[in-house]
Amino acid sequence: MLLTINGLDKSFDRGKVRALCGVSLQLAAGKTYSILGESGSGKTTLARLIAGLERPDRGQIHYQGNLISSESQHVPAEKRAIGYMFQHYALFPHLTIAQNIAYGLKKSPRGRTVVEEMLALVNLPDYGGRYPHELSGGQQQRVALARALAMKPRLLLLDEPFSNLDTSLRVDLRTEIFAILQTTGVCAVFITHNAEDAMAISDEVIVLKAGTLLQQASPQALYARPARPYVARIFDALLELSAPLLAEFGYSAQAGRQYFLRSHHLSFASENDYRTAVTVHKSAFMGKYYEIEVAVAGQVFRVQSPAPAPEGTGELGWKESDLLVFGE
Amino acid sequence: MAARFQTYWQKFRRNFDRWSVVALLLTLFIIVPTVFLLLQLIDGPGESWGHFVENLLPKYLQNSLYLAVVCSVLTLLLGVSSAWFSTRYDFPLRRSLEWLLILPLAIPSYITAYAYAGVFDYGGPVESLLQGLSPEAAKVDIMNIHGLAMVLSVSLYPYVYVACRAFFLHQSQSLIEASQVLGQNQVRSFFRLILPLARPAIVGGVILVLMEVLNDYGAAKYFGVNTFTTGIFKSWFGYEEFNTATYLAALLLVIIFSLILIEQRQRRRKRFVVDGKGGKRLARIRLRGTRGFLVTAVVGLPVVLGFLIPVAQLLYWAVQVYSQVAWGEYFSVAGQSLAIAGMAAALCVILATALLLAGHWNRLRWIGWLTKLGVLGYAIPGAVIAIGVYIPGLVIDKWLIRTAEATFSTKIGLVLTGTVIALIYAYIVRFLAVAFNPISAGKQKVQNSLLEASQSLGKGPWATFFRIELPLLQPALLGAFILVFIDVMKELPLTLILKPYNVQTLAIEAYQYASDERIMEAAFPSLTIVAVGVLPVIFLNRLIRQD
Repeated sequence: MLLTINGLDKSFDRGKVRALCGVSLQLAAGKTYSILGESGSGKTTLARLIAGLERPDRGQIHYQGNLISSESQHVPAEKRAIGYMFQHYALFPHLTIAQNIAYGLKKSPRGRTVVEEMLALVNLPDYGGRYPHELSGGQQQRVALARALAMKPRLLLLDEPFSNLDTSLRVDLRTEIFAILQTTGVCAVFITHNAEDAMAISDEVIVLKAGTLLQQASPQALYARPARPYVARIFDALLELSAPLLAEFGYSAQAGRQYFLRSHHLSFASENDYRTAVTVHKSAFMGKYYEIEVAVAGQVFRVQSPAPAPEGTGELGWKESDLLVFGE
Repeated sequence: MAARFQTYWQKFRRNFDRWSVVALLLTLFIIVPTVFLLLQLIDGPGESWGHFVENLLPKYLQNSLYLAVVCSVLTLLLGVSSAWFSTRYDFPLRRSLEWLLILPLAIPSYITAYAYAGVFDYGGPVESLLQGLSPEAAKVDIMNIHGLAMVLSVSLYPYVYVACRAFFLHQSQSLIEASQVLGQNQVRSFFRLILPLARPAIVGGVILVLMEVLNDYGAAKYFGVNTFTTGIFKSWFGYEEFNTATYLAALLLVIIFSLILIEQRQRRRKRFVVDGKGGKRLARIRLRGTRGFLVTAVVGLPVVLGFLIPVAQLLYWAVQVYSQVAWGEYFSVAGQSLAIAGMAAALCVILATALLLAGHWNRLRWIGWLTKLGVLGYAIPGAVIAIGVYIPGLVIDKWLIRTAEATFSTKIGLVLTGTVIALIYAYIVRFLAVAFNPISAGKQKVQNSLLEASQSLGKGPWATFFRIELPLLQPALLGAFILVFIDVMKELPLTLILKPYNVQTLAIEAYQYASDERIMEAAFPSLTIVAVGVLPVIFLNRLIRQD
C-alpha cells in the first residue's frame, strides 16, 4: 500500500471541534481516489494531515512503509514528497509561471527541462514568462497542477480543484486534468463535495461525514451496496419504508433494521416482487421522469416513474433486489 | 490522569522544536525589564517610601488623573468630530485635511509644549495681540496643568482620529440607510447608531492617548507640573532615591497593564461589529457654501492647533537664531541621532520578524501566547523601561568588571550601561511592537496557503521565508523600519536616563536648551525631528488610503 492510515483523530480549539474521529483507510499506488463529504465533514483536514500540514491527536499515517505522522512523530510537510494542490491555487504572486513550476526543483539544466515538460503537459507551452495574475482561473489551475507534478510525487492531493469553476468549464477541466494525471501515473486524491466529480474521476470514493469515514469503495460498489443511508442518498432520493408499510406490500420486516428504496425503484410494472394497491393523487412531468404522488394506507409519498400513471387506483410495487437494508 | 499527562508529554516532545526555543528566548530577552520591575513590587519599596506617600504621591496621582481625564475628553472631541466629518462629508479642502489631521503625530508633545510656551510668552504673538487690544490685558498663563492638558490634547488627538477614521470608513452604507428609513436624521443616526458602534475603536484610540500622557515627561517638566512620570525622574535624579523611583515605575506598570487589559477587551468586542462587507461603502454627502466652510473650519482647527501653530513658532525661532547656530555640533548630534535610530530600527525589524516567524512555526500554544508579552513594551512609559533596563544592566556590568579583573586582570568600564548597548536594548524593548504590528499585518496578507504550498514543494521554513515571505513582506518591513526610526528620534524620557555621557541626540539637545531657558536654540533640533517625523505620517497616510 502506498499510504495507510490507522485510527486518525483530530480536533481543533482544544478539543471543542472534532474534525476527524478514528479514520482508517488505505490508498494503492497509481489509483485515483476522491474524498467526498459536505463542508465540515473533515475532508480537508484529512488531506492536510496526509500532507503534513496538520498534526494528528491520535493515530498513525504510514507512507511508502514509513511512519510519517503519529502522536509522537511528525515528518514535516517539506520532507514528505507528497504533492498538494491548493483550493485557491496558492501560486506565488511574485514569481513567473516558470519560476512557480521550478520552485521545488533543484536549479539545474534538468530542472529547466522539467519545467518545459510540465508546461507542455498542462498545455500552456508559451506561458513560462508570465505572472499568475495575468492568467485566467482555469489556466492558474493548470499551473498549480504543473507545479505539484513537477516534483514527481507518487501521491497528489487536490483540494476542491473544481469548486471555483462554473459547470460547463468544470466538466472540460475535469476531463483534462484526469487525462493529465493518467499520463503521469500518480496516485491522485481529489477532495470534493461534488458527488458527480467524485464518480466521474475516481477508482474509489471515500465518503466522510462529520469526521467519520462511512465507506471506501468503487463508485459501482458504493451505489450497489451503500454502507449507510447517507451514502445511498448521495445518488438518489430515498424513501424509508416502515414495518407496517412493508407489510402492506406483503414483506415482513425484521426488528432493528431500516429499509429504504430509491424513489425510482417503485413502479407500476407487473413483474415486481412485492405489490400493493395505491391511490394515485397526481402525476407531475419533471423532464427526465414523472413525479407521481401516491397514497398507501394513508401515507403519502412521491415516486419517480418513466411514465405517467392514470389517476385513481393502481398497483405499485418493487423488486426484492432493489431493497436497501441497513442495520443488524 | 497519568495517561493524559503522557499524551500531553508526547505531544510536547513532538511539537517542541527549535522554533519554540527561538520564540521562548526572544520573548525572555524582551521581557527582562518588565519582570524585574514586577519583582520589585514583591520586594517592597525603600525606607523613604512612607514620607513619599504622605507628601508627594497624592499630588502626583491627582495631577496624572486630571491630565488623563481632560486629555481623554478633549482628544475625543477633536478626534471623533474630525474623523466623522472627513469620512461622511465632502467639503472644501477635505482631501488635504484628511491626511493633515495626522501630522501632529510628527511633533513630539514636548516640542509642541515648548512652542506653545513661546506663543503665549511675553513678547509672543498672543501677548502682543492682547496688548494691542488693551494695555491692561493680563498675559494668558498656560504654564500650568490646564495648559499642559490643552497642549497634550492638540498633540495627541490623532490617535483617536486614526482609530475612528478607520472604523467610519468601513461602515456599510446599508446600516445608515436602514437608520434613515427608520426615521432617524443624520445627527440622530450618528449619536444613536454610529457612536455606540464605534465605541471599541474610540476607546482603543483614547487608551493610546492615555499611554502617551503617562509616558510624557518633557512637556510636564517644562510646564512645571508634577505627574507620576516626572515623579520618577525627581526621585531618580533629584533625590537619588532609586528604590522609590523603581517602586513608582513598577506601580505605573500595573496601571498601564490594567489599561492594556481594558483595550484588549474592547478589541475582542470589535469582532462582533458589522463591517462594510456586503454593503456599499458610505458615500460622502457634499456640503456647499457656508456649511461647507464651517465644517472646513471645524476639521481644520485641530491641524492649526496641533501642527501649524507649533511649526510656525519653531520656524520663527529658527530664523531668529539662524546666524548663531553651531553647525558643526548640530550635524554631529544629528548624525549620532540618525545612527542610533537607524541601529535600533534595524534591530527592531529583525527581531520583530524573527519573533513573528518563530511564533508562526512554533506549534505550542502557550509559547504562542507568551510571545504576545514581547510586544507589550510600547505601552510602557519610557522612564519605566529605562529603570527596568538600567538596574539589572548595572548588576551585570559590575559582575563583568569583577570577572574581568579576577580572570584577565584587566580593568573594563561599564560595558552595558556606560555605552549605547543598554540604550539600544531599551529602545528595542519599547519599540519592538512598533515594528511588529505592521510586519504582522503584512504577514496576514500573505496567505497561509502560499507558505504551505512552498512546504509541500519541499522547502523548509528558512527557504520559505527567504523565497516567499521576505519578497512579499518588503513594503511592510520598510514601513516598520521607518516607524521605529521616527519613534527613536523623538524619544526623550528613556534616552535621558540611559544615554551615556559622550552621546548626544537631537531630542536631548532640544530638551536641554529648553531646560536652560534657551528655548530659541531648541528650534533647530526640534524642527529636524519634526521634518523626519513628517515622513512616516505621509507613509501612514498611504497605508490608510490603501485600506
